Amino acid sequence: MRHFLVMTAFAFIAAAVFGTVARDSTADRFRYGLKIFGEFMLIGLALSWLLYFLPI
Amino acid sequence: MSQSEYPAGSIQPWIMGTAGLVFPGAGHLLLGNWVRALVLGGAVWVCFIAGLAMGGHLFSITGSEQGLANLLQVPPTIANLGSGLLYFVCWLLGVGLADDPVHAARATYEYGNTFLLIAGLLNYLAMLDAFDIAAGRKP
Repeated sequence: MRHFLVMTAFAFIAAAVFGTVARDSTADRFRYGLKIFGEFMLIGLALSWLLYFLPI
Repeated sequence: MSQSEYPAGSIQPWIMGTAGLVFPGAGHLLLGNWVRALVLGGAVWVCFIAGLAMGGHLFSITGSEQGLANLLQVPPTIANLGSGLLYFVCWLLGVGLADDPVHAARATYEYGNTFLLIAGLLNYLAMLDAFDIAAGRKP
């Protein structure tokens, strides 16, 4: 659970910055930030499932 | 202050960029853009403090490593230096820079490292954003 929370915090912080610097209008920034946040979370979860099946 | 007030070739964008690099959020604060200063500066501060709280390690080039190992310290040190004053305060206080096996054994050690690195890299982005706004390249 701690790993997921840390990943969520990381995705939130990075998405906030990317969303703020990348677009011009407030609505666009919000949408882009949400998109980045979702992508971080989805890719993080997908990678964690992939790595779960790999032997150490 | 309006972002397009500065004439071409003005030194103001460099001042805003430098202020943002030295003190996260200060560049946008000087531009009068409180919301951006709060979001960007706040993100960098939270990221940095969270990284330290998780037991992360701040990199530095000490020259004590052997051979190419010194070169491997350069990229993460550049990333950490992006945090500006936060890095130097930690350096002065001796926080986070020591290679401590107790810290390294913590479950969140690598997370802390990542947060500290990302805090610096995000601040580089914020610095460039402040520069671009002051130069009139962005609204």
